[in-house]
Amino acid sequence: MKNFSFVNVENKADALEVLHREKEKSCLVAGATNVMPFIRYEKINDKTLINIRNLQELRFIREEEDKIEIGPLTTIYDLENSEIIEKYAPALREAAQDFADPTTRNSATIGGNIANASPAADTATPLLALNAVVVAESKSGVRKIPIQEFFLGVNKTALQCDELITVIEVPKNAANSNSCFIKLGLRNAMAISVVSVAAGVELAEGKVAHANVALGSVAPTPVRAKTVEAALVGKEFTPGLVEETAKLVTEDISPIDDVRASGEYRKTVAAVLVKRALKKSGKI
Amino acid sequence: MTKHEIEITVNGRKRRLTVKPNDLLLNVIREDLVLTGTKYGCGIGECAACTVLMEGKPVLACMILAVAAHGKNITTIEGLADGDKLAPVQQAFIDHGAIQCGFCTPGMVLTSHALLNENPDPSEEEIRDYLRGNYCRCTGYTAIVKAVQSCAKKNQ
Amino acid sequence: MSEINITVTVNGTKINANVKPEMNLLKFLRSQGFYDVKCGCEMGDCGTCTVIFNGSSVKSCITLAAQADGGTVWTNKGLGEVDELTQKLQKAFVEHGSIQCGFCTPGMIIAGKAYIEKGGKPDRNEIKKAISGNLCRCTGYKKIVDAIYDVAEQMSK
Repeated sequence: MKNFSFVNVENKADALEVLHREKEKSCLVAGATNVMPFIRYEKINDKTLINIRNLQELRFIREEEDKIEIGPLTTIYDLENSEIIEKYAPALREAAQDFADPTTRNSATIGGNIANASPAADTATPLLALNAVVVAESKSGVRKIPIQEFFLGVNKTALQCDELITVIEVPKNAANSNSCFIKLGLRNAMAISVVSVAAGVELAEGKVAHANVALGSVAPTPVRAKTVEAALVGKEFTPGLVEETAKLVTEDISPIDDVRASGEYRKTVAAVLVKRALKKSGKI
Repeated sequence: MTKHEIEITVNGRKRRLTVKPNDLLLNVIREDLVLTGTKYGCGIGECAACTVLMEGKPVLACMILAVAAHGKNITTIEGLADGDKLAPVQQAFIDHGAIQCGFCTPGMVLTSHALLNENPDPSEEEIRDYLRGNYCRCTGYTAIVKAVQSCAKKNQ
Repeated sequence: MSEINITVTVNGTKINANVKPEMNLLKFLRSQGFYDVKCGCEMGDCGTCTVIFNGSSVKSCITLAAQADGGTVWTNKGLGEVDELTQKLQKAFVEHGSIQCGFCTPGMIIAGKAYIEKGGKPDRNEIKKAISGNLCRCTGYKKIVDAIYDVAEQMSK
C-alpha cells in the first residue's frame, strides 16, 4: 500500500527546513525520472516527497577562477548545451549526450543522477575522473565531500538524510579539459551502460603528467582505475603504452554477470574502452 | 520414387533438373537453384510470399509441383533487376518505405510488376484488389499501395 | 497520505483537482479526459506519454502530477488545434504513412516538435536521436523519420 505525502518548497532554506523535519522520510524530487519508477515498483515507500523541481537558484553552471560550479538541478540538457562544460569538463558533456534520450534529459538532473548513485550513473563516471567535489548542506551547516568518498555502494551515498547537494565543483585543469567519455550500451540511447569509461590525461613534453581514469557499471560504485593511472604517470605517451596499461584495468574492477552482460565480457570490453578513451583524451 | 528430368527457364537461363514427383517448385527454386529470394511463408497457398512469375503471370510456387513447371518460363525476384539497375517497382518500394522485415517483399514486388504490365494505370482499388492475396504483417499496406501507385502511368 | 489540490492549465484550460501525492502526471491527464496521452510502459521507456510541460517535452508517466501545480501542459491533440508546427507534423505523419496502430504517434509528434523547435535540421541521424526515447512496434521508424525530416526541411527554408 503506497504511503506518500508531498511538500512544495519555495527556496533552499525551506528545503533544508523540511529535510531537517522529515529526516529519513525525506525524498527529494526534482526531475522525478528515478523517483517515479521507484514509487511504481515499490522500491521506496512511506516518504515525504519534497518537490525542489522549481528551485531555479540551484540550477546554474558558473565559471570561477580555479573551478566550475554546477548546481544540482542543472538538467542533463543544460550540461549538453553548456559552453563552460564543453570547455572544462567535456567528459561530462559527452556523458550528457549519451544519457537516456533528449526528452528525459529535459527533466533529469545531475544532482538526482549522483544522489541516486546507480553504479551505472552516466554523470558519476565523468565526475569521478574529473575529481569533482560535492557540496552538501543541511540545517547544521555545509560540508564538502570529495567525489571519491561520495559513492558508498549501490544506491548509497555519503549524504545524510537531511542533506541537500547545493553545488558540484569541478576543478579547472588540463586533464579535465582533455577529458572524454565512452559508454557502451545495448542500444545507442535509453541504455543502462554495460561499461562506461571517463578519462583525462595531461601530457608534458610527451610524457604523462596526470592521468585520471574512471569506470562505471563494473563495481557497486563507479571506480578509479588506480592501477592503470599509476602505470601511465611519468611514461612516454604512445599507442604502445596505452595498449599495455589499458589491459591492467582488470585489476581495478569487479564486474558481475547480469542481464546486460557477463562479468567476463565486461572485463574484456573495459580494457578496449579504456584504450580508446586514453587515445581520445591524449589525442593519439 | 522415380525421379524426373525437367527443363525450366529461370530468369532467362535454361536449367535442367532431376526432381521427385512430389517436389514443390518453391523448394526446387530455393534449394536446387539456390535462389532464396522466393520465400517459404505458409506453404499452403495463403500468404503469397512464394510468388514467382510463370509465363509472366504471378503464381504460387508452393502450390505448383516442379514437374508441372517443365518447359515453362519462370521469373523469380532475382530476375527482375537488370544487373544493378532495379526495376521501377523495386525502387518505388524502397523510396516509399514499403519494406519493413522484407519477407513479403519479393512476392509483393512480382505481383505488383505483373499488375503494372497488365494494367499500367491502376487505381488504388485495383491495386489493392490485385494484391489481396499477398500478406504483409509489418507495414499496414499503405506504403506498399503508395509505392505501386507511384509507378502508375499517370504519376510518371 | 493526504491528497494535494492542484491547478494545472491543460491545453489552455485551467483544471483543478485533488491528487494523491504519488500520482503521475499521465494518470492525472487521463483521469481528466485527455485520452490522447497514452499509457504504454508507465516507466519512462516507451515515450508514448510525452507531453509539453512548462515549455519542455517530458514523459508524463515519470513526472509527478503534484509538480504540475501552477504549471501548463500541452498534449498532442491540444497543440494540433493551435500550433502550426504540430499541425504540419500531424499532416506529414498522415502523408508519409507514419501511423499504423497510432499508439506511439502522440509521443512521436511531440518529440519531433521539440526537435524542430530546438533548431533541429533535416538530418536523419539527428532525427533518430530525437525520437530515441519513443518506441514504435509497427512502422520500422523509417516513415516517422521521413515525416519529421519533411517538416524540418520545410521549416529550414
